[in-house]
Amino acid sequence: MSASAHWLDERRADAAARFAAAGVPHRRIEDWKYTDLKPAIEGANDDAAVEWSIRTHPDSVEVFDLASADAPGWVREHLGTLPQNAMAAASLARARRGFAARVPKGVAAGTVDFEWSGSGSGRALIVLEESASLTLHENNRTDGFSNIGVEIVTGANARVTHLRVANRGANAVQVEEYAVAVAQGGAYRAHLFNGGAKLSRAEFQIALSGAGASAALSGVSVLADGAHADITTHITHAVANTESTQLFKKVAGGASRAIYQGRIAVAEGAVKSDSRQTAKALLMGSRAEADLKPELEIFTDDVKCAHGAAVGDLDLDSLFYLRARGIPEAEARNMLVRAFLGEAVDEIADEALRGHMWSLVEEALAGAMQP
Amino acid sequence: MAAIETREKVAALGEKYKYGFVTDIEMERAPRGLSEDTVRFISAKKGEPEWMLEWRLAAYRRWREMAEPTWARVHYPKIDYENAYYYAAPKNTPLKQSLDEVDPKLLETYKKLGIPLHEQMALAGVAVDAVFDSVSVATTFKEKLGEAGVIFCPISEAIRDYPDLVQKYLGSVVPTSDNFFATLNSAVFSDGSFVYVPKGVRCPMELSTYFRINASETGQFERTLIIADEGAYVSYLEGCTAPKRDENQLHAAVVELVALDDAEIKYSTVQNWYPGDEDGVGGIYNFVTKRGDCRGRNSKISWTQVETGSAITWKYPSCILRGDNSVGEFYSIAIANHFQQADTGTKMIHLGKNTRSRIISKGISAGKAQNTYRGLVSVHPRAENARNYTQCDSLLIGGECGAHTVPYIESRNKTARLEHEATTSKIAEDQLFYCTQRGIDPEEAVALIVNGFCKEVLQQLPMEFAVEAQKLVGISLEGSVG
Repeated sequence: MSASAHWLDERRADAAARFAAAGVPHRRIEDWKYTDLKPAIEGANDDAAVEWSIRTHPDSVEVFDLASADAPGWVREHLGTLPQNAMAAASLARARRGFAARVPKGVAAGTVDFEWSGSGSGRALIVLEESASLTLHENNRTDGFSNIGVEIVTGANARVTHLRVANRGANAVQVEEYAVAVAQGGAYRAHLFNGGAKLSRAEFQIALSGAGASAALSGVSVLADGAHADITTHITHAVANTESTQLFKKVAGGASRAIYQGRIAVAEGAVKSDSRQTAKALLMGSRAEADLKPELEIFTDDVKCAHGAAVGDLDLDSLFYLRARGIPEAEARNMLVRAFLGEAVDEIADEALRGHMWSLVEEALAGAMQP
Repeated sequence: MAAIETREKVAALGEKYKYGFVTDIEMERAPRGLSEDTVRFISAKKGEPEWMLEWRLAAYRRWREMAEPTWARVHYPKIDYENAYYYAAPKNTPLKQSLDEVDPKLLETYKKLGIPLHEQMALAGVAVDAVFDSVSVATTFKEKLGEAGVIFCPISEAIRDYPDLVQKYLGSVVPTSDNFFATLNSAVFSDGSFVYVPKGVRCPMELSTYFRINASETGQFERTLIIADEGAYVSYLEGCTAPKRDENQLHAAVVELVALDDAEIKYSTVQNWYPGDEDGVGGIYNFVTKRGDCRGRNSKISWTQVETGSAITWKYPSCILRGDNSVGEFYSIAIANHFQQADTGTKMIHLGKNTRSRIISKGISAGKAQNTYRGLVSVHPRAENARNYTQCDSLLIGGECGAHTVPYIESRNKTARLEHEATTSKIAEDQLFYCTQRGIDPEEAVALIVNGFCKEVLQQLPMEFAVEAQKLVGISLEGSVG
């Protein structure tokens, strides 16, 4: 990023100090209980920088390369300002590459299609002004250790749809931090695909800070032997009349591990908050593991919060029903697994994106069905 | 309007702690503070054998190296462990042979608490061990139980009379190094109950221990050990109260349950320690380790708790489902009002095949209280066909309290099935409307609805305790219209 700017140096120094104080997360830190990052990134090069590329973006979206000098005002205003955990502080402190994108007020911008590759730290900032809308299509193709911090700042009534695809990578240790601020009347919808990196940790810090703000997250993890996928979410209902939904489905084959940790916090006074959270895992592999921790933190009475979680095998009755109708077992299992994942895939409203998600699922499924 | 009424009524509940009196009785204490000498003093007072003292000292040395846990959602000023008493007993209570030798003041105290100790007056079918501060002052129906072969006595007596059983099982479920408070307890525990139900015996009566804290500046550290041998059954009830005081008193108990093949233990608690006043002054710190080990095949351990008292509750009655086909259950109602803080839940550790567990937790928060359910369901790789069902519901009364849910669901066997559901809400307006519209006054309607909310747990209590528990829940319900 532009090395000379004083404001940036300061923010980086702060972040570096925060990271130094916290250290690399390990499993004795509650939020990292199921993902032991420390041994996984031993020997990684702290100074490496991931490559980014924007494959397509509409003309109405202003893009700024964070490595260039003379950042515009909106970058200075927002970069590194949202809440950061230790790894987000690290990505801010270390990233020498990344980009920022801005959608001006009232513009329905279409899709920014971008990709990460290589290894090292990276950083992105997405700013939507009032009543703007944007679809983000993000591909994480990094290999080795990568740590990417993304901030999404929205103005009132702005809407973001975010498709995030993390592909299979036998050597990939992908750490991602997403900090999202949703303003009054705004909406953030994210759809995640985890195809089974060696280790993936995606953490979302979402603040619903204006009345009518909403967040909807859905995701599928389709994991083959050796994969480790951790999705951790923190959604804060900071004010009244906010809504959040989460639906995560996981299929874990071989000796893979599927993790979901979701914390919903409803602040005092945030009445009429409505929050739903569901996480389900199917264990296909005899050495597969699922760890689910759906957490509620409620500080006011007039709310509706519910969560559900389940881990198990395919429903035997359903399997029997299909087989009794002449469908071979393997096929019946395939049907049921698709039906299981389908619930989460169908959360994607856009037909093309949904189709893309299905193709990703199909590609990964054979590996995840391994015992 | 309704909210103001609620607050007023809820405030009134603070006045309803009926057990806040102090019994004026001459006490004998260990010197203030905690050292190896304190441990030796307690052990000597109990006339313990050398192995028991060594066990305590080992725990004490270990405790010195441990740090107080901070992960629970409870906040309290640092406890000065050096400035408390670890042993207090009424004077003139030598090993009693019959109730006639018990100080009448003590008998009177228990009568006031609603626990008559004279057998002819006692509730039929319930044997009681009465623990007053650090000592057991009376145990009823010992002879009748003895006829069935059931041992029911203070643990200090068991150490003397049944050293083989105690040595075999004590610390086998909650090891001395388990956690900060359990280790402290292992060093300084005073009294508590010991139960052994022999092979094939169905304990003919409900067993019960009533814990009373009376002395000031004194912690209570009871230790309970219950063993159900093959095919045995026992139902055990625990009740507790303490005087109203401005100071906070520590209660750090350890309860260990062992169920062998085909055995069943049902353990029920109505916890009504002094909760502090409406401004959060005083009250008991209830830091308790309770764990059951389903060691045998087809064994079953069931925990039921109604937690209404204590300034702070830190308690996770758990089951280790070791034996194949073993069953663990946890039914809980936790009510926190005013400034009370409760962080409670359970752990179900599935180790054996076809093990099943069920968790039903109902949390109710009012005033400025914070109520947390924290639970773990863990399925180990060898636990084929393990099953768990968890339901935890929270009810909030008023806009200043908190209800939190922290479940951990971990499965490492693909044939296991785990289900978890949780909801948080205030009392449904439509249900209230439905009732009031049929002429039921709002107060009663709330009682009705919340009784329904808790019903699944209340049903699990033995009759003798269900009445008390329902009353306690009822008191907490008054004025919850909001």
